[in-house]
Amino acid sequence: MTAPSGPRGGHPAAPAPEVHAAVSAVWRLESARITAALVRMVHDVGAAEELAQDAMVAALEQWPATGVPTNPAAWLTTVAKRRAVDRIRQAEREERGHGELARALETAEPRDDPASEDGGAGSDGEDHEADESADILRLLLLTCHPALPTRTRIALTLRLLGGLTREEIARALLLDATTVTRRIAEGRRILARQRVDFSGAPGPEELGERIGAALEVVYLVFNEGYSATSGEDLIRPDLCLTALRLGRLLARLAPREPEAHALVALMELQASRQAARTGPDGEPVQLHEQNRGRWDPLLIRRGFEAMLRARDLLAGPPSTGERPGPPGPYLLQAAIAVCHAQARTAEETDWAQIAALYQALAHLLPTPVVQLNRAVAVGRAEGPQAGLDLVDALHLDPALQDYHLLPSVRADLLLRLGRTAEATTEFRRAAGLTRNDAERAFLLRRADALLRADALGVTAPGPSLGAAADAFLGRAELDASSRRSYAQTLRRLRTGLGDTVPLAEVTDDQIGRVFRTAWGDSAPATWNRHRAALRSFCAWAGRETPADAVPRRAVPATAHRGPLPGPGLRSLLRDPTVPARDRALWRVLHESGATVAAVLALDVEDLDPSRHRARSGRAFVCWHPETGPLVAELTEGRARGPLFLSARRPAPARAPADAADLCPETGRRRLSYERAEYLFKQATRRIDPAGRGFTLRTLRSGY
Amino acid sequence: MRYLMTARSTETTPAPDEKLFTEMAAFVEEMTAAGVLLATGGLAPEGVRLVSRGDELTVTDGPFAEAKEAVAGFALVEVGSKEEAVELARRFRRIVGDGESTVQQVFGP
Repeated sequence: MTAPSGPRGGHPAAPAPEVHAAVSAVWRLESARITAALVRMVHDVGAAEELAQDAMVAALEQWPATGVPTNPAAWLTTVAKRRAVDRIRQAEREERGHGELARALETAEPRDDPASEDGGAGSDGEDHEADESADILRLLLLTCHPALPTRTRIALTLRLLGGLTREEIARALLLDATTVTRRIAEGRRILARQRVDFSGAPGPEELGERIGAALEVVYLVFNEGYSATSGEDLIRPDLCLTALRLGRLLARLAPREPEAHALVALMELQASRQAARTGPDGEPVQLHEQNRGRWDPLLIRRGFEAMLRARDLLAGPPSTGERPGPPGPYLLQAAIAVCHAQARTAEETDWAQIAALYQALAHLLPTPVVQLNRAVAVGRAEGPQAGLDLVDALHLDPALQDYHLLPSVRADLLLRLGRTAEATTEFRRAAGLTRNDAERAFLLRRADALLRADALGVTAPGPSLGAAADAFLGRAELDASSRRSYAQTLRRLRTGLGDTVPLAEVTDDQIGRVFRTAWGDSAPATWNRHRAALRSFCAWAGRETPADAVPRRAVPATAHRGPLPGPGLRSLLRDPTVPARDRALWRVLHESGATVAAVLALDVEDLDPSRHRARSGRAFVCWHPETGPLVAELTEGRARGPLFLSARRPAPARAPADAADLCPETGRRRLSYERAEYLFKQATRRIDPAGRGFTLRTLRSGY
Repeated sequence: MRYLMTARSTETTPAPDEKLFTEMAAFVEEMTAAGVLLATGGLAPEGVRLVSRGDELTVTDGPFAEAKEAVAGFALVEVGSKEEAVELARRFRRIVGDGESTVQQVFGP
């Protein structure tokens, strides 16, 4: 086998790691198309996977010498197809018939010269594109074949359509590579035993029967990535992206299937909330507490568009006057996601509509989760009693008798009804049923909080302000800093209104009065922080936020002050490409906790290097011994003058007024706060999820 | 991750013809369907420029002298790696001929 083409288009020979990255990039984008064409040629999923793999290996071997070809995708396709032809010829020599070979050659020979610059999109005829789509759809239905176990469908789909390597699949699904290899082998074996029609596009009937399995696989992959809330595992957001891609692809391949578009809508809308779903420390943030400003408007718009397509398909062409078909489960779930996306605040959520959608969904998917979600929605829409009635009906279902979320939801509703003692019992029952330690601890804490409140003599009509506040603050999903902050707000309310006053009897005006007295003169940001805590508390307690009594105040735009992400900062502080001066400054700030002004004001004379500290007024600025060498680098050859110097000498006219700010040995001036701030902002931009960079002050707060 | 690809024309950039429009439309459709392309568009050569310096804000109506170097179009793509973005830009350049493209990662929202 010779290289089908030399370097073209002026790409010089590339070093191996870059080639590797280029090959896998092309592979991710093209594998579905290439593998699908191969499957049609060789009629064997396993063989197609091997051929595709061979082509990748050939690229890894040849591209470092020849350079990356101008049209890498066409190159890979051609090599793979040629190998497929070789294989078929060999098989034919061994025994098989001629027909297969003839057809394979026919599909492989034309328009596949990688030397042709136009091998890519656009130049191929429409027929070819249609063939290609049919091949890919056929492959997708194959990897989601009903004869395969679900886990095998997922592995095969990710491998053959997602273009993931076995190692990548293993990492994405938290498995070891051997297991993935075993699952793929199992899939190949099962498929080899099936009678599969490898040619042409699947008919509408077949598609209708099989598409559900394909949609399910895509959504499982998405959820696998979406439910990963540990911020450390970067591969898993990648899994969401893979699922979104597969879903969008499937919607194009089956454009008349409303459920395919609905699934895309559902995934786009859920993905739009990704950034808001975790707090600064990676802790999960519940939907009603999310900062909706962090939802991605682009994905929301795409979700709405996909939703409109799905609805239009369901309604059918307007001319026929047919009644719209029944909505499928993905359409209903997407519609619920649309309701949330349309609410600008948690309070604006149209719970009545969501409850109605859950009711329809419960007919199609009568799973416990759906039933319970419906009860929660009804509890929001029609009040806790209506929600409780539904939950109590579910209680009779033996399938749900060990389901811990049932008593937990029930307890919440009871609490809102003021039936504290029963709520306590239900929380305890839920704690006994859950297998998750963290969840158990959380449920027990809530029960204890209620018991304590009860001991204070709290009775109907409804929980007291104090009991409600304790239960609210006792929730496991609250991180320590939010809890502290919320507790501050609620303490004012409790001291202002009394711990034992029933929450239901507290009026908006009373709350407004407490707010104005406590924070009327505070900065708008402070006011709004307390207001946000109040809003969160009200949402939890199932009452309206007193929007008129406690209005939001306009905040002047300020610099970004979110916390620094620890891992990003650690690697930045070790990054040898960052100048030693900047790293030394950042590390000293970070390790000493001293103010930026104090650290910038340090002079060489203040240093006490053996003890890793410097005198600053009457105190010391201390740093870690590891930082010592960096500081020493700064003072090399200097006995006096500012410790942190700017990079250039000032023009004579701009010499600082204060001689102490000029280094007598180098003639350079003291590094200014503005400049240091600017440099840090620039450097931290890439570790800031918001892309704005951090201020130096954030360094003082520790990892 | 998201990347913004911007394209600039140069002296030798050919005027767009029927073939380019067809190929471009096919490319855009394919990328959209594959779930890679999130948004794309061409930019008018004229425009309004705003420059702020201290408290001063200057607003100037285009067109500008260096119009040849102005950004002529953009595409926002969602991909798994920088290399994927570069591969897409490579394909784009193969279709449009001479000129320049810049590929930059987008942060946020």
